[in-house]
Amino acid sequence: MSPLNSDPTLNRRQFLKASAAACAGMALGRPVRATSRRTLKLGYLPITDATPLLVAHGMGFFKDEGLHVERPVMLRSWKVLTEAFLARKFDLTHMLFPIPVWLRFRRNQAVKVLAWDHVNGSAVTVRGNSDIYSFADLGGKQVAVPSWYSMHNLILQMGIRTMGLKPVIRPQNAPLAADEVNLFLLPPPDMPAALLGKKADAFIVADPFNALAQTRFNARIMRHSGDIWKNHPCCVIVAQEALLQQRSPDVQRAMNAMIRAQAWCRTHPKETAHLLSREGKGYLPLPAKVLETVFAPTNPAELRHPQWQVPRIDFQPYPYPSATRFIVEQMKQTRVQGETGFLNTLDPARATNELVDPRFVKTALAETGLGSAFAPLSVNGPFEREEIIEIR
Amino acid sequence: MKSVKPVISRKSEGNGLNLVTGDTRFGLGYDILGLILFGLVWTLVTHMVFSRPDYAHFQDFMPLPTLKALAAAVKEPHFWASVAASLRRVLVGISLAALVGFPLGILVGVFPRLRRLSHSSLQFIRMVSPLSWMPVALLVFTRFESAVYFLIFMATVCPIVLNTAAGVMTINPQWIKMALNQGATRFQLIRTIVIPATAPHMTTSLRLALGVAWIILVPAEFLGVSSGLGYLINDARDTMAYDRLMAMVIAIGILGFILDRIFQLFQQAFRWSWHK
Repeated sequence: MSPLNSDPTLNRRQFLKASAAACAGMALGRPVRATSRRTLKLGYLPITDATPLLVAHGMGFFKDEGLHVERPVMLRSWKVLTEAFLARKFDLTHMLFPIPVWLRFRRNQAVKVLAWDHVNGSAVTVRGNSDIYSFADLGGKQVAVPSWYSMHNLILQMGIRTMGLKPVIRPQNAPLAADEVNLFLLPPPDMPAALLGKKADAFIVADPFNALAQTRFNARIMRHSGDIWKNHPCCVIVAQEALLQQRSPDVQRAMNAMIRAQAWCRTHPKETAHLLSREGKGYLPLPAKVLETVFAPTNPAELRHPQWQVPRIDFQPYPYPSATRFIVEQMKQTRVQGETGFLNTLDPARATNELVDPRFVKTALAETGLGSAFAPLSVNGPFEREEIIEIR
Repeated sequence: MKSVKPVISRKSEGNGLNLVTGDTRFGLGYDILGLILFGLVWTLVTHMVFSRPDYAHFQDFMPLPTLKALAAAVKEPHFWASVAASLRRVLVGISLAALVGFPLGILVGVFPRLRRLSHSSLQFIRMVSPLSWMPVALLVFTRFESAVYFLIFMATVCPIVLNTAAGVMTINPQWIKMALNQGATRFQLIRTIVIPATAPHMTTSLRLALGVAWIILVPAEFLGVSSGLGYLINDARDTMAYDRLMAMVIAIGILGFILDRIFQLFQQAFRWSWHK
């Protein structure tokens, strides 16, 4: 018995392993589709958010579903990824949830959110010797965010506001009052260096950059995002509406494969880390050691709510409308740079209906029989849940 | 009036300032000394910056870790595939730019009306960072590879056009007059006087373009390509492997140096002089 077995999440994983095995039998009875003639293209950023897409490709799940998918194309920034996606360089991709909201309602692009790509997976990181232990300590500090339209910016500002502080966006040398927190944009790879170089006092970003800052620079995780908002969505799977109309069987095939990948990642954290790493199939330019930190159970000392049992990153496909509504509501209160008038008139319920198309996930869950693999993440039944948010 | 007597000197030391400073063939000694000095400055600066305790994590920027990472990199097949990919992108981009830039530069130099007409737009395009064309490149080109070629083309075409045009305008007007007196057509004028007289400027513009192309390569390989030295630099940044980042910087430096030498030989072949 390994000493790690005392960890509750591992016990749950073992249980899941058993239930996944049980599901495999059912999976045989699902409808068989003919092989698709056309290929499907995927795009991704080199972050762990891309895991389900990459694992579905690396494990051959797309092929199993009769779908030919080229090796996913790696891009280097959300900007380039979004531009390439709109230029139809690829068909499916993962995006931070607020990006498709912005694309659909500000830029009037016909994009649809098909499913959640992953949950949790981000953290607020500070210097190892920093005196920042909670959001309340961020007054008068500089905090880096990866993109204005990101879950990170949303969750960070939730935390700042709850503590009675004011998020502001100013030049870095402008004076700050004791109750103001200055936010600025920084590309994720530059965040750990900026933190150590004292250009930023904290940053909020997706892994592996927190893990890298931890392992290489002794940085400290101030708060995991999943420890603030239990199992919150982060990246979602996005497609153009035209694709859903023209190639709906292929989209279904892809969705089935990605759901199988998500279920597989939940039960095979070590194998996932290895598959993605430089030593494995090289989808991410990282050594397996760093990735293992991301997929390993979270150190309970880093958690405010260890009883929630949230892993650092987890996978759950169903796009709960309650979360979408909450995100749209939060976006209205979140400070960003640029034009935000479109948010004033945006009704959260209408936005949810227009933006999210859960048909493919529902079918995929039924066809793969993997619903129970994600059961621990759904709170009130499979298709609705209550959002649990605790800042303090 | 003294007649112009063309004396073609293919040796670089017979040119320009070298006429005053004398023989400038120093051999390799000065090159090597320069490299040693460069290494010393690098060691000194990185030592001063990164030996501070809060920056101890960044000692990978220093020469020793860099050289180790470079030694490790040259054993990887992906490194050599990346060298080939980057060289191809730089050379294809510059060739396309030269193909468009030389004729355009000559026309702009020869025809004053065209010069006025194109002046404002050329100056305008020249000042725009080629990276602003990234969304256009993504939209217009079906392959990421051709989008990278396009970005390098956009970065290098303006220096080539402007240098070629500037070269045309430095031609001794007496030669033109002489040719016209003897009944040369515009086409003959361009072929026998303008092009040979501008050739040194054209080759100089290629050397300038080479430097710009390498600068653009790193951000251009942000686009969805899967190899290249810029791609490896981006990889190193994404993983904070600064020794590897520096190793790639050195690799680009060495390649750039070699390419520049080749272009320089090419340049010397066209560096004739009409002075005595």
